[in-house]
Amino acid sequence: MNNKEFDNILNECLERLLVEGESLEQCLARYPEQAAELKPLLETALAAREASAIQPRPDFRARARYEFNSALKETAAVRSRTSWGWFPRWATVAAVVLVLVLAGGGTFAAADSSMPDSPLYSVKLATEQVRLTLTPSQMGKAGLYAQLADRRVAEIAYMANKGDTRQVELITQRLDRHLALLTVAVLAQRGDEAPVLMAPPEEAGAPPETTPPATYEPPPSTTEALPGPELAPQPGKDWGGSGDSARNVNQAQLRDTLLSDAARNQSVLQQALDEGPESTREALRRALAVSEDGYEEALEALE
Amino acid sequence: MQDEESLVRRAQEHDQEAFARIYEEYFDKIYRYITLKIGDAVEAEDLTQQVFLNSLRSISSFRWRGKPFSAWLYRIAHNQVVDYLRKKKKVTVPLEETLVSGSDNPQQSAERKLDIEQVLSAARHLTGAQREVISLRFTSDLSIAQVAEVMGKSQGAVKALQHSGIVALRRALSVTQNE
Repeated sequence: MNNKEFDNILNECLERLLVEGESLEQCLARYPEQAAELKPLLETALAAREASAIQPRPDFRARARYEFNSALKETAAVRSRTSWGWFPRWATVAAVVLVLVLAGGGTFAAADSSMPDSPLYSVKLATEQVRLTLTPSQMGKAGLYAQLADRRVAEIAYMANKGDTRQVELITQRLDRHLALLTVAVLAQRGDEAPVLMAPPEEAGAPPETTPPATYEPPPSTTEALPGPELAPQPGKDWGGSGDSARNVNQAQLRDTLLSDAARNQSVLQQALDEGPESTREALRRALAVSEDGYEEALEALE
Repeated sequence: MQDEESLVRRAQEHDQEAFARIYEEYFDKIYRYITLKIGDAVEAEDLTQQVFLNSLRSISSFRWRGKPFSAWLYRIAHNQVVDYLRKKKKVTVPLEETLVSGSDNPQQSAERKLDIEQVLSAARHLTGAQREVISLRFTSDLSIAQVAEVMGKSQGAVKALQHSGIVALRRALSVTQNE
């Protein structure tokens, strides 16, 4: 028997074992001549199958679902109410945090400046999500994502200084996401002006690289931005206006801000790289690359 | 998934419910695929999230040309992993905070977690292509035909990789268990 024939028999046994639910003995009985060779391989396949029991942590699953749904709402044209029933726990949490934020309080002020090694950091992240939810306009969201990116860079530098490579890596992933969503918001805002966005001239059906172009038709934005108290836009940073002229001005302001942010944050990360512990340098180089690529992509979207 | 083509078309038309269903269908599978590929269950979380954000941003570019939607989605995941590994150039392990499904019995859960850790550790001894096949076949439940679509290889080549991958995994597992 050649290798190809054996590969086929092995595959058939795997299908019977893993898909059709046959027992190992039943599979082996079908191929008595190959049973001795098949048995250890099928046992190994069953062991590998154990890895299918890996499940995401519930808190990650909830956070990911919430953030994905936020991105979905930013890009979708159809307003489906059913999606709200999709993450009731997070909606409840968001509502509770919202009430507390609007009520003010020292905890939230403290959380707002907390760093990832603080117990209040999760409150800070939850509060940011609420503020994003409260900001309906795409330019408002873009401005908020720019501010969140700023925060993440400061946190990366802080954790690098403490030598916490793992946190630097995790926050870098968040920075990457914020900058990607910033670009999504900018493209969606542009979609308000030009409802039909052409598909890119790439091979039909080809999967995107890790930072693909957006080709959706984003929803119209009809309301003003409503930023939260701590993350309220600074003078000259009110990106939530409506109307063509206001939008052009806002886009220009956002572009200037991003140019400034990109330069400053590259400088902050470079300084952390130069002065931080050796153990964090590889992670910081990655953060630098993420920052550079992310701002570049967002600025291109604003062109 | 029932009538996946219809669901994907609705998602391309920005139907939130359709995209939510796709997300729910594939989220755990993509997570497991990435976890086995990079050997780090925590870092796999952010990569998984990024895969779905990327798919959301680019779903309009997907075209039905005889290939399943899953092939397109796993390709995004593959690109994400390649990008991650290129930047990181090393892999770490921990599975401490990750849960395993299927048992309320703490002892069974602990034993299963140990088994999974051994599989993840052993998988690092496989070649990239072998690991890809093992991951897609045994943690994401794709058929040989689907794996071939995802990897852009013939079904015969995938079967050969499946065979050599299981042999390599067995060898690595026996080493791990003897340590």
